[in-house]
Amino acid sequence: MKPDEGAAMDIKVNFFSYFRDLTGCAETVEQVPDNTTLGELYAALILKFPKLAAMEKSTLMAVGVDYQPRGYRLKSGDEVSLFPPVQGG
Amino acid sequence: MKRELIITNEPIDEAKLIAARTMSSGMGAALYFVGVVRGQEGDNTISAIDYEAFQKMVEHQFALLFDQMEKRWPIESVRLVHRIGIVKVNEPSLWVEIVSPHRGEAFAACQWLIDEMKRVVPIWKKPVVGDAA
Repeated sequence: MKPDEGAAMDIKVNFFSYFRDLTGCAETVEQVPDNTTLGELYAALILKFPKLAAMEKSTLMAVGVDYQPRGYRLKSGDEVSLFPPVQGG
Repeated sequence: MKRELIITNEPIDEAKLIAARTMSSGMGAALYFVGVVRGQEGDNTISAIDYEAFQKMVEHQFALLFDQMEKRWPIESVRLVHRIGIVKVNEPSLWVEIVSPHRGEAFAACQWLIDEMKRVVPIWKKPVVGDAA
């Protein structure tokens, strides 16, 4: 992070279903500037886990236990979950 | 509206669930649906499905769906059981019951609930090929 980007925050990100296979982990922590959007976080995660790129359009994103759009601005303490389309039943 | 949600690793005991049904005198419809694991997943023959859930979010999303159901239909109770972990072919993975005054709202609400579950409730399935024991 560059000094002029303002304060940074650590965001915990959980992966579910085959996203764990794509990333090789169940969770990670990403340091991002304040006010980063979910979409920007995803772009940063693609650099770390390139296999996520193919899933960008279909990925569902939640903060806590609620779905959020890609424009959602992250706050300190937010916990993000990323996963493929759901398949219950 | 009474609500009961069970996410479990244990087999779904339909007889026990049916025996536990309660209905007030104004109710005329008790509808239940059982979703069963099929032996085919696409072109593949499978022995089971391994279900995974994001439990906390599952509970929250079902609560939101039940809130919407309650506003939309005059339902007295909804009970839903979803199994997670390994569920073998021919075994139930989902059990839903709706109790309402008339059959129309019970059928409509049940169909809607399952459709919405498949859209927003974070449960995933992984087909198991070969021995599922």
